[in-house]
Amino acid sequence: MERAMEQLNVQLNRLTRSLRRARTVELPEDNETAVYTLMPMVMADQHRSVAELLLNSKFDVNYAFGRVKRSLLHIAANCGSVECLILLLKKGANPNYQDISGCTPLHLAARNGQKKCMGKLLEYNADVNICNNEGLTAIHWLAVNGRTELLHDLVQHVSNVDVEDAMGQTALHVACQNGHKTTVLCLLDSGADINRPNVSGATPLYFACSHGQRDTAQILLSRGAKYLPDKNGITPLDLCVQGGYGETCEILIQHHGRLFQTLIQMTQNDDIKENMLRQVLEHVSQQSESHYQKILTGLAEVATTNGHKLLSLSSNYEAQMKSLLRIVRIFCHVFRLGPSSPSNGNDMGYNGNKTPRSQVFKVRKVYDVRKNDVIGVKETGFKEHANIYQTSPEQEPLELLWHSLDEWLVLIATELEKNKRDPASGANNITSILLKQREVDSSAASVVGDNTARPQAITPASQAQLDAEVIIEAPEAYADGEDVISMTANRLSAVIQAFYLCCSCQMPQGMTSPRFIEFVCKHDEVLKCFVTRNPKIIFNHFHFLLECPELMSRFMHIIKAQPFKDRCEWFYEHLHAGQPDSDMVHRPVNENDILLVHRESIFRSSCEVVSKSSNEKLKQGIAVRFHGEEGMGQGVVREWFDILSNEIINPDYALFTQSADGTTFQPNSNSSVNPDHLNYFRFAGQILGLALYHRQLVNIYFTRSFYKHILGIPVNYQDVASIDPEYAKNLQWILDNDISDLGLELTFSVETDVFGAMEEVPLKPGGVSILVTQDNKAEYVQLVTELRMTRAIQPQINAFLQGFHTFIPPSLIQLFDEYELELLLSGMPEIDVNDWKKNTEYTSGYDLEEPVIKWFWEVVESLTQEERVLLLQFVTGSSRVPHGGFAYLMGGSGLQKFTIAAVPYTSNLLPTSSTCINMLKLPEYPKQEILRDRLLVALHCGSYGYTMA
Amino acid sequence: MSETYDFLFKFLVIGSAGTGKSCLLHQFIENKFKQDSNHTIGVEFGSRVVNVGGKTVKLQIWDTAGQERFRSVTRSYYRGAAGALLVYDITSRETYNALTNWLTDARTLASPNIVIILCGNKKDLDADREVTFLEASRFAQENELMFLETSALTGENVEEAFLKCARTILNKIESGELDPERMGSGIQYGDASLRQLRQPRSTTAQSKQQCSC
Repeated sequence: MERAMEQLNVQLNRLTRSLRRARTVELPEDNETAVYTLMPMVMADQHRSVAELLLNSKFDVNYAFGRVKRSLLHIAANCGSVECLILLLKKGANPNYQDISGCTPLHLAARNGQKKCMGKLLEYNADVNICNNEGLTAIHWLAVNGRTELLHDLVQHVSNVDVEDAMGQTALHVACQNGHKTTVLCLLDSGADINRPNVSGATPLYFACSHGQRDTAQILLSRGAKYLPDKNGITPLDLCVQGGYGETCEILIQHHGRLFQTLIQMTQNDDIKENMLRQVLEHVSQQSESHYQKILTGLAEVATTNGHKLLSLSSNYEAQMKSLLRIVRIFCHVFRLGPSSPSNGNDMGYNGNKTPRSQVFKVRKVYDVRKNDVIGVKETGFKEHANIYQTSPEQEPLELLWHSLDEWLVLIATELEKNKRDPASGANNITSILLKQREVDSSAASVVGDNTARPQAITPASQAQLDAEVIIEAPEAYADGEDVISMTANRLSAVIQAFYLCCSCQMPQGMTSPRFIEFVCKHDEVLKCFVTRNPKIIFNHFHFLLECPELMSRFMHIIKAQPFKDRCEWFYEHLHAGQPDSDMVHRPVNENDILLVHRESIFRSSCEVVSKSSNEKLKQGIAVRFHGEEGMGQGVVREWFDILSNEIINPDYALFTQSADGTTFQPNSNSSVNPDHLNYFRFAGQILGLALYHRQLVNIYFTRSFYKHILGIPVNYQDVASIDPEYAKNLQWILDNDISDLGLELTFSVETDVFGAMEEVPLKPGGVSILVTQDNKAEYVQLVTELRMTRAIQPQINAFLQGFHTFIPPSLIQLFDEYELELLLSGMPEIDVNDWKKNTEYTSGYDLEEPVIKWFWEVVESLTQEERVLLLQFVTGSSRVPHGGFAYLMGGSGLQKFTIAAVPYTSNLLPTSSTCINMLKLPEYPKQEILRDRLLVALHCGSYGYTMA
Repeated sequence: MSETYDFLFKFLVIGSAGTGKSCLLHQFIENKFKQDSNHTIGVEFGSRVVNVGGKTVKLQIWDTAGQERFRSVTRSYYRGAAGALLVYDITSRETYNALTNWLTDARTLASPNIVIILCGNKKDLDADREVTFLEASRFAQENELMFLETSALTGENVEEAFLKCARTILNKIESGELDPERMGSGIQYGDASLRQLRQPRSTTAQSKQQCSC
């Protein structure tokens, strides 16, 4: 009874204690339950509670639990519960107990920087040298996190400071990777091996460089670290360049001057990312004037060697060309950063003939002075053609290359000249055939007659043969000359491209170097010969034409003769040059960059948002959202251009007037009725330019003459036909007939209706009193045409072009004629069902043989042109087909063909679409009639507006 | 990664058309005789890393066209060459007679310190010899040239010609007569001296032993 009472009392006591402390007061019997009771207390370092619970308990303090099999001592060390840790150690916890990954409590304390715990563990003889399963010891953990102070305490207990983990990495390796300077110093002071390689041969310096740890690299190098490559031959410098770590490179170069040359040689290496290397060279060049000059000279030398290799016919053209252009680009980049760059203000007195970079190549000059007495001999010895290089003979290393280029072009010119002198007349052809015949004969003879059989057989067989050789020498050279031109044209053109780059980087932006212009003029004939033989050269190498209108005109006729497609590619390549990964790449859209427009006031709201956006942002990409709708993406952008372009020609704004045929438009000469008209014209120009920039089509067709205005081509009287065919006929009549005796009484003036009032406008000064005669009628027709077509709308055209040119440079658009411009802007107006069908893909169960698909195309064929446009708009968001047809349909991320996907049919279900991917989701209709019906309902109701499907 | 060498030398191969310059280069680089040899157009290029006197040297060799019409082009490649092989054909006196012109070009247009070795090629065609060894070696002596008779066909003395030239340049560098740091010397430093060969890794067993004390 009493016993029972006592027990009850104990229990009651326990109950009150437990309730008061809000926890159990006695440990459960089994270790597993007990440990989970204790764990939270240990974590919170509630050592009194833990002590109380452990008192009189049979709990095994070394009990390992959980997934990683840790003891409570691990937990305490990990959390820094120092009191509990002491308690557990006193209770006999094993300080070297390893969890499933081999970690001891000391490892965990070290990893988390639990200083006191570490101290206590060491007091209780924790072994600092134990490795976990990955071979990591406590000092590795301290080194990873840069806990220098703790390391300092610990390292004295360590028997081997160079202890390696499974990868052969020491604490010093990891400290270097993470750039913990003081830790590195501490380890080095403790005798860590500074050149220790890991399993792959990477040293501490290697790691510091691979992670761009400048200060650490500095420490290592000043302590005498060796410059060692890993087992694959990758050096610390390679790593710095790969990572673009300019500062670390600089440190390496400071300690090992020879690496300067190596760094520059790396520009030839195709494997290295150009931007990284450029970044490094940029940094190093900015360290001092002498670095800057040394880098430029070095780059110039490498470029020259590569240029010369490119001019060696046996070298790989593609690789050598890329290499040369890469080096020259980097050269120009570094050059522009320098004090002598034109963008830095000085040296504007560029005189065209001389290389102005005197200060850059000071080093060189000293040498040249010495050299000059020798060159003097040369110049009297053989004074060749007076060339533009003689003013600055070989002042900089690159001049050598330009000199070679010049000599090559002169050589080609000589070969061309020879061609002209010996035109391929019948006689000559016979000689060359004879020559070939003879060659065959003689080689046969030499095989027979001479055992050594040298291919270049100079063996004088007979006097007769020698004579023959002398006679036919000229035609041989001629045939050879053709070869020389065709074999070198590409290579020389690539060097010309490099020459242009170098010339331009010495000029202020937007100016063509007089030296380069002079060069092109000098070699005009050869260059024309190159591009006539292989027009691809223009697109591949003669980019300078796009930047130099004065040179472009020389080649325009050749360029215009190239296929439209090639010119399109060139156009876009240049339009997007310098834009980081153009619009084809999906990137997250910044909420602020979304153009939010209202469907009801599309014109005004678009004008507002576009004028608020920066042109650069608009070039990078457009994201449009309609107010109150969720849809976004390429489909919406396309729809926006489509509707907006329709709005631009809305007669309510009076900006554009319809031409006679009713489908094309041109600026309204009376647009000033809209007071803001010029701003709107600029906006219209921007939208058109933007659409062209992003390869979006617009839903406007302009008059031929307006396309000409965009291109800057003069109009002629025939263009009048598009706005006033009757009047054009009259002009034609005047031109075709003798007007002397007709008594037309025409003067050089025109009456124009300006809002109801007739005004007489002179065509030229004093025109009202100049009669039109048979002699001057052509001038009259031209002037009257210009008045109708140009002068009347000049302010509008100017405003439009101002907007258009913000996105499309005039030099680029002039690659096209007015017909091509229409194709570029508006795509093909007609829908070719066969082409459509041919370029359609099917997914999720459909294929061409499926009855539903067969019905679908039958339905499409029966649709009117307008309905087809609706269908196209429903699926792609635009009513237009790109030029080239359906094969070139664009989606959100590049080419995206029209696609039809199957959807299970339920009654009354309508087709839906995803405009981003040009996908029509077509239910599996049981009958053609139902399909047709549902499709038409969808088209007529659903081709506008986006909601998430 | 980038090639390792102590020095890079720019070399020229010059001489009249048909003396076998390209074949010499081909033999040196590929160790084979080039059967289907055409006239060189402009300048060709080849390179090989050789070991000379304990140093690794990369030879960057420019093989020039011998034909007169390319003369102005090939001259523009001379600048900054450290060494040259001046080649004539022992079976053609004409090519031997032209040597003076080639030599003047090389001495004036390339570096004034250029090291030149005279090569009498086609040694294998001794039967058709038009230039004796003796007169050529006298010419070489008068003009301070090294001299060898070579055969691009058999490969005789080809390697030697290039190596001898390289060794002389190296000696001049070591004696201080040539300064690789000077622009236009035709010599560049590589980073081989920095990349010391790694000694075999200290045995891990040993460190383990130290570890478990």
